[in-house]
Amino acid sequence: MFVHLQGPYSFLFGRLTLASIPYDNAIIQFAFGFAAIAAILVVAPVLYYRKIPYLFREWLTTVDHKKIGVMYIILGLVMMFRGFFDGLMIRTQQVMADGPHSAGHLEAAHGYLPPAHFDQIYSSHGTIMIIFAATPILTGLGNIIVPLQIGARDMAFPTLNAISLWLTTVGAALVMASLFIGDFSTAGWVGLIPLTELDFSPSSGVDYWMWAIQISSVGTTLNAINVIATIVAMRAPGMRWTRLPIFTWTTLSTSIIGLTAFPILGVALALLGADRYLGTHFYTAGLGGNLMLYTNLFWIWGHPEVYFLVLPAFGIISEVIPAFSEKPLFGYVTMVAATFAIAGISWVVWLHHFFTMGAGPLVNSFFSVATMVVGIPTGVKVFNWLFTLYRGRLTFATPMLWAVGALFLLLIGGLTGMMLAIPAVNYTVHNSVFVIAHFHCMVLLIVYAAFAAVSFWWPKVFGFKLDETTGKLFFWSFSIGTILLFTAMFGLGFMGETRRLDYLYNTQWFPALVIEEIGVGFYSLSVLIFFAMLFVSIRDRVKNAASADPWGTSRTLEWLTHSPVPFYNFAVTPHVNSRDELSWRYLNNLAATAPEHFEEIHMPNNTPVPLIIGALAFGFGFGLTWRIWWMTGFSLLGIIAVVIYRSFARDKGYHLSAEVMTQLEREPPLGVIAESQYLSKHPLTGAGAH
Amino acid sequence: MTLGTIGADEKVVLWQYGEVAHDMISTKTLGFWLYMLSDALVFAGLFAAYGVLDHSMNAANGPTEAQIVHPIAAFWQTLAVLTSVFAYSVATVAVKHGYRQLVVLCVLAAILLGMVFLGLEFSDFADLYAHGATPQVSGFLSAYFILIATHGLHMAFGILWLLVMAIQVSRLGLTAPVVAQLLNLRLFWQFQAAIWVCVYVFVYLKGVI
Amino acid sequence: MPWIPGMKLRTLLLTAVVPLLSGCSTASFRLFHPAGVVSSIEWHYTLIDVGVMSLLIVPVTIMIAVFVWRYRKSRNARYDPTWSHSLGLELAMWGIPFLTVIFLGYESYRSTLLVNPYGPAALNYADAANPPLQVDVVTTDWQWVFIYPQYGIATVDDLVVPAGRPVKLWLTSTSVTNDFFIPGVAPMIDVMPGMRTMDGFQVNVPGSFEGFSADFSGAGFSWMQFSTRIVAKPDFDKWVAATQASSNQLSYAAFTKLAEPTVNVGAKPAYFSQVPSGLFMDVYNAARAGTVYAIPEQLKISTSSVDYTQGRDGTN
Ligand code: HEA
Ligand code: HEA
Ligand code: CUA
Ligand SMILES: [Cu+2]
Repeated sequence: MFVHLQGPYSFLFGRLTLASIPYDNAIIQFAFGFAAIAAILVVAPVLYYRKIPYLFREWLTTVDHKKIGVMYIILGLVMMFRGFFDGLMIRTQQVMADGPHSAGHLEAAHGYLPPAHFDQIYSSHGTIMIIFAATPILTGLGNIIVPLQIGARDMAFPTLNAISLWLTTVGAALVMASLFIGDFSTAGWVGLIPLTELDFSPSSGVDYWMWAIQISSVGTTLNAINVIATIVAMRAPGMRWTRLPIFTWTTLSTSIIGLTAFPILGVALALLGADRYLGTHFYTAGLGGNLMLYTNLFWIWGHPEVYFLVLPAFGIISEVIPAFSEKPLFGYVTMVAATFAIAGISWVVWLHHFFTMGAGPLVNSFFSVATMVVGIPTGVKVFNWLFTLYRGRLTFATPMLWAVGALFLLLIGGLTGMMLAIPAVNYTVHNSVFVIAHFHCMVLLIVYAAFAAVSFWWPKVFGFKLDETTGKLFFWSFSIGTILLFTAMFGLGFMGETRRLDYLYNTQWFPALVIEEIGVGFYSLSVLIFFAMLFVSIRDRVKNAASADPWGTSRTLEWLTHSPVPFYNFAVTPHVNSRDELSWRYLNNLAATAPEHFEEIHMPNNTPVPLIIGALAFGFGFGLTWRIWWMTGFSLLGIIAVVIYRSFARDKGYHLSAEVMTQLEREPPLGVIAESQYLSKHPLTGAGAH
Repeated sequence: MTLGTIGADEKVVLWQYGEVAHDMISTKTLGFWLYMLSDALVFAGLFAAYGVLDHSMNAANGPTEAQIVHPIAAFWQTLAVLTSVFAYSVATVAVKHGYRQLVVLCVLAAILLGMVFLGLEFSDFADLYAHGATPQVSGFLSAYFILIATHGLHMAFGILWLLVMAIQVSRLGLTAPVVAQLLNLRLFWQFQAAIWVCVYVFVYLKGVI
Repeated sequence: MPWIPGMKLRTLLLTAVVPLLSGCSTASFRLFHPAGVVSSIEWHYTLIDVGVMSLLIVPVTIMIAVFVWRYRKSRNARYDPTWSHSLGLELAMWGIPFLTVIFLGYESYRSTLLVNPYGPAALNYADAANPPLQVDVVTTDWQWVFIYPQYGIATVDDLVVPAGRPVKLWLTSTSVTNDFFIPGVAPMIDVMPGMRTMDGFQVNVPGSFEGFSADFSGAGFSWMQFSTRIVAKPDFDKWVAATQASSNQLSYAAFTKLAEPTVNVGAKPAYFSQVPSGLFMDVYNAARAGTVYAIPEQLKISTSSVDYTQGRDGTN
């Protein structure tokens, strides 16, 4: 597993040797077996039903924003599953390794994980959850929902959109590769400096971590550009700024954060890369380096990043609560103002992650106050949701349960965040599991919002509702896990338990640790229920088939078109008359009014270019990690060549004629958002294409 | 108001018939501006790093800024970059008038001047290496080399792009997509010149004051 | 403890919150029982912050719960399908948190000065009759070295200080970043290679505490504890004299041996005499000049080669 990067070198394989593959580690064997079985379960039916051409044609080469969004979300869920497994392993190690008399198993003196392995697990857990689970899920939702909410036919740059997806996937693939080839960073998701320097981390781990993040954040930046351009330029007629749905607003603000924050992360990591690959001294303690430079650069990105994640989550809550309260959102204007206030202030609070680094009291106070100021617009949001509930007609379908659950998490996470924001308090709980508990409340808020969104928009995308019984069971089981785990963790924080401990020296913590373990037990149960929910829902999909507005109380534009959304979104672009367009049409008895006639529309062609770029990007990252220079160079040149080639190709897309559109719209929806199903039923591809 | 009922004589439009005109060229330009913004932030980060490490403490007994920068030599680089941008501006004027040959010619001139810039930069680096002032010597030199080399890399990519555009103009002509790309390239090229001017002021001129 | 204006009143106000936080048996909640001067202030401000925030968070929580229950469709409560704006309410929802943040911001500023690790206003360093005890702290991978430059002695993993005397710390690291922390006694401060940070604390009654690194520093991090003993002044003097008589000496050369990566299971202490007064600065300058203590391969792969079975017992 551990390979010294100063070790043997060969031209063909760089530093990669057979010794890098930890085939003798029982846990890795298990993980590999698990991944292999999962892969077989996925791949075998694909092969059996000869779906590879279908997958390639319909999904891997697609430029349809909805399919790209779905793939983003699948990626995010799969990675969240991996992150959950890491969380389970962390908790199990800590409950087993409490006190000097705790037993040791496998190779460990206490618990079952030796330190180096444990340290990789929380580092990958944090990295995966933040960058490869939460981010893709939210990006995917933005991808699916935003163009629909603003009445657009696609994103502004469909091909670029697919490139973003594949770059994010490549990052995730690098993290997964580190599980079986080499090792992962042990320096936390934040890359603690100077621990990440070659002197202290001489194996492939930090490089995997660094390139995975670096490549995926290029994808995230490109996606942010795409979203902003889409919202600015592609709105349907009548969709004024004052009518933009809140989720679109929050996605816009998030994309602005992403566009401006991720380049800073890129610089922070690139300079670390220079230190590790070229022997420079940006962050070394000696020879004129400055390790605080890294910490500052990282958190100048890192803090905006957490609001990057939470703002779309707020947006989801702002869509779900009105829909299930049968009332417009309270205080639309203040909600938008609060969103941008949070985004703006998020830029001047980064230092609160290192109050203990010894800045003067004035500097610390400034960042303390700035941090607390974020509480004001966040409070405004909470009050707006509160007054949306007030005098509403509330129904508690699964999305609403998740949304309301998220509110409670926000309050607890906010209260504890406000404690951490005061240096005098921070000096006692910084780097303790109190911080872990604080931010898990917040990131779980995002997970709650994500599950709210998935159950809310699922029928829109797939044409049938998720099963409500198992859905609610999933919610409750997950929530019991959350309550048990994080209540105990706050307590442990006050007991002085430091984070990132693979061995716990204090036996008084044991009862709380057991409660935490029961908590993850409920999480494990909830994962099983989640699979049951998927199974039951897909089995009963015909029974649960959805109309255009399956909840009956939705308010925004996306619910106007069919469920599942046809590949062209709206046959005729809607003209927007009101902030809650669908509610307005309901109110005026216009909701059922279909267009009188159809016209020719224009669609982009699928292309394998994004997939090829993704594959090359993987070679680039993998080659760099293992110093396989030919692979790195080949991949880089390949990407450049593909981009140049593409710039010569003049792909004009294809047209669907008015007659075809009429015919398509008259057909009942077919159940999946598959373009070719329409097209193969009606041999049109040739007819409309150039 | 969020919701409202329609007045008796109000005429409502529910569907937008006809092609909804999304001006793709201006959307592409917008997208490119956004990309340049993120690129600007990359340089902001690098300048910040340079600002932190440009200190005698960070020179770690190696050379300091004042000892390695040559504003006069770098002035020729500045001149090269600016004239290259000028050549490209002439090309854009030629685009407006549809002089295809002139466009290609000016783009080639811009490439040549860009190469001159890179050549001067390369010889500067080679000189520093010859004196043992390598990026591995100190935090300050690391920041110096990486900042300037990053700009140099951007210039190299710009040259590659110029080359591609020269070929596209002569092969495909001044079609709308080609012109859109030419306009984005203008932005990119001017931006690199602007960054260089910042480098010149903050590194070369400040270094000797 | 210095007099903090309004302390009594607020303590009264907060008695409602304390039981809520502390439950019944709170002995193991170290932070609820601050022993040091600075830690007491930290705990005091924790209560203020939680108390004030609760004034908002608790009502909001209750309101959410009540609304969720009251306005369920099945209860047929009053339904107001268009109400979505109220200027007064919206002003209040910006205004009240704003005022709260102003108040908390002021408290934060004041408390930051009081506990500022670089010179806590709560401690009196200038009293000639009771001058501060200087301790230089050096972290290695993965031990703590405490140097007493005023006495020419040093210890490993054992911090002994007199009760009632302010303690002034300088801190630096030989390898990676650590975070110095003694719950209930001293505020946290980072310990960084090639940098010097400071901390300060004072405990007025004797007692034993546990200190450790709070910032992950590699494979031996979980074992990086040290004991903190607050002893009566005469006992301290005796201890110093005894340590000064130790035959174990610590020159810079000896220090470089000590600084080799070691996992000190159970924080077994060691004591040194004849410590040069400039040792701290020597370590600091060496790090700046690029000295790095390489970690042996064995320790990086797995620390299972180290015998961990005899860790310290889990009491505080
Ligand atoms: C988005 C971010 C996120 C999320 C959601 C989580 C979720 C969880 N985390 Fe995470 N955590 C971090 C981000 C996150 N964490 C970070 C950044 C760190 C710091 C790392 C560091 O120190 O550097 C950390 C650290 C951290 C620690 C601290 C280790 C330590 O320092 O001592 C622990 C310990 O208990 C932990 C546990 C958990 C658990 C049990 C969950 C659970 O809540 C997980 C619940 C999830 C599920 C139950 C899965 C549900 C998924 C599905 C149902 C999908 C399945 C579908 C398919 C396969 C298609 N985390
Ligand atoms: C989505 C993620 C998310 C969100 C939204 C937040 C929100 C906040 N966070 Fe958190 N935070 C993290 C994720 C998040 N955080 C992570 C991942 C870390 C640790 C990373 C690591 O080290 O690994 C962290 C760490 C962290 C620290 C550093 C801790 C330490 O390491 O010592 C601090 C300190 O100030 C802090 C503060 C806050 C504050 C004040 C908010 C505020 O935005 C909260 C605002 C909300 C409210 C206040 C509640 C609602 C308001 C009202 C009901 C009105 C009444 C309120 C007022 C009077 C203002 N956070
Ligand atoms: Cu010095 Cu952080
Ligand atoms: Cu933060």
